[in-house]
Amino acid sequence: MAEATERGTGVRRPRSNWVPLAAATGAVVLLGAGWPLLDAATPSSQELSSGHTVDVNSGGDYAASLDLPQDGWNVDTTRTMADQQYVLTRGPVELDLTSVVPPQDTDATPENLWAGMETTSRVHDASARLGRPESTDTQDGTEGLVGDLHTQGRTERAAVFPAPDGTFAVEMTLGGEDATEADLAAVEDVVEAVSFEHRGES
Amino acid sequence: MTGRAPHEPGKHTPSHDEGQVPSPRGPGHEQEPAYGARAHGTGPEVPGPDGDQAPGPVHIGRGTHEPGQRLPALAAMAVLAAACAIGLVLTWMYASGIVRAYAWPALLASALGVITYLVGLFIFRRIRPVRAPRLTVAVPATVWGILAATGVAAYANTGMGGLWGQILGYETAGDWTAALTAPLNEEILKLAGVVVIAVAFPRALRGPVDGFVLGALVGLGFEVAENFLYALNSISLSGALAPATSVTDSTVVRVVLTGLGSHWAMTAIAGTAVGVLAAVDWRPGPRRALGALGLVLLAMLGHFFFDSPLLGEGLVGIAAKVAFVFLSAMAVYFLVRHTHRSRVRKSLAQQGSELGMRRSDAKKLASRHGRNKALARVARPERPDVRRRQEKMVEEAEDRAARHAVS
Repeated sequence: MAEATERGTGVRRPRSNWVPLAAATGAVVLLGAGWPLLDAATPSSQELSSGHTVDVNSGGDYAASLDLPQDGWNVDTTRTMADQQYVLTRGPVELDLTSVVPPQDTDATPENLWAGMETTSRVHDASARLGRPESTDTQDGTEGLVGDLHTQGRTERAAVFPAPDGTFAVEMTLGGEDATEADLAAVEDVVEAVSFEHRGES
Repeated sequence: MTGRAPHEPGKHTPSHDEGQVPSPRGPGHEQEPAYGARAHGTGPEVPGPDGDQAPGPVHIGRGTHEPGQRLPALAAMAVLAAACAIGLVLTWMYASGIVRAYAWPALLASALGVITYLVGLFIFRRIRPVRAPRLTVAVPATVWGILAATGVAAYANTGMGGLWGQILGYETAGDWTAALTAPLNEEILKLAGVVVIAVAFPRALRGPVDGFVLGALVGLGFEVAENFLYALNSISLSGALAPATSVTDSTVVRVVLTGLGSHWAMTAIAGTAVGVLAAVDWRPGPRRALGALGLVLLAMLGHFFFDSPLLGEGLVGIAAKVAFVFLSAMAVYFLVRHTHRSRVRKSLAQQGSELGMRRSDAKKLASRHGRNKALARVARPERPDVRRRQEKMVEEAEDRAARHAVS
């Protein structure tokens, strides 16, 4: 520590205030730019094997999962937060799947959830709107709604399925900036591939 | 660049306005060596430029800088302003869609945020022993937390989270990404704010107790901004069925249930480390450096524990996590508070004896209550003068306490 002490006195010389300022500024720049750049430079998708089941969420007496009906799906690891939101891609097609937990004492009917979904879709596009929904069933017979989502000049597909006990629901949009109608039609059944299993059953 | 030499009396030449502690024993007394005669550090007293060892006048001036501090302080203010402007842009890019989609709930979340902010600002200024930090310092500290730290953290966390998703797989990452990301990114970004404030306002952050309080204020700002974003996200995650309820529930949980052990506490612990380093002009010995590192790691550990899936999501688990962070912060707080108060009281007693005051009366000036009580005992016309004298004594006592911190 010879450089740090006054010769012969043992008193430490102060360090310039430039040093901590440079360190703090450097840390902010490094974290703010470093992680996003590193993430952008590395792959952000993981291939899901054939027959892969995505455990979506659980609540109350039920657990929801998605059994992918096609091969070739990938999960976007940057935008996916397990138990809340999943972004799956297959070529130009993108499936956004969100698990929503309605506040207590709200009437979480499919119709109300559909109306709420129109509001949430406006987070990404202020002019987004949902078309008239149609009733549909998942593979395990859970009732829900499916319909068109008009957003950013495209028509995508949207679906919502509340868990049988109403404690949570699964909302999905199927689209993609470069996805054609044929692309969407080829995987359209994925939105009905969600299932709700009563916990305690195996 | 010349290093700073804070509180070195001989190097400071304040104007008459800055004044000295008036003494009933006459002006000659003001030159007694007892007044801050020790130079910074524990070594031999350093003569002033005039070659004597007489103490300099009491630093009452606001915003005074020691040689070598002014340029870094100006640069730090520029960094503060630039980082907050960039943070504002980043936060807007991140949150503009959600604010636009949920305009009315955003107003509600803002109102709840303002209440949280004002209550927090009052409490965290008030907990500083002896005197509250000035608003001109406290507010910029919170603004760093609200804008710079939050805006940058949003992108840093997303980027790092994507890497964890690749490394751990999306299922494991779902459970652990927050715990493996936020303690590093958010604690360092908030801590950087405390450092920038320390350089921008060197007389406002001179020791561990200042680091604790300004850290708490940076953490408060971050918490308020995060509460706002979480409240709006909770609308999407609850299906937008009852936006006002979602906002209120989210805020109540984050303020009432987990607020005691959240960002303010973590950054207060880490900020204390900045105070430890600032007190020795950023050149610590091994013991002090290890202590500062330990405090930062303790803050990160608390944050990791808080965000981890350990102990589950039940009330008991949450209570244990909150208690760990809060009690850690309280242990640090009472330690630095006790040390600072003791030094200030000792200095006041010393000054009091020089001024002919009773030792016990002088010591009581260390608290706001004691000063108010002393003021109440004098005739109303004399109070402004007495108040000024008190302020000078306390200022000097805190100067000495800061100098003593390096011994």
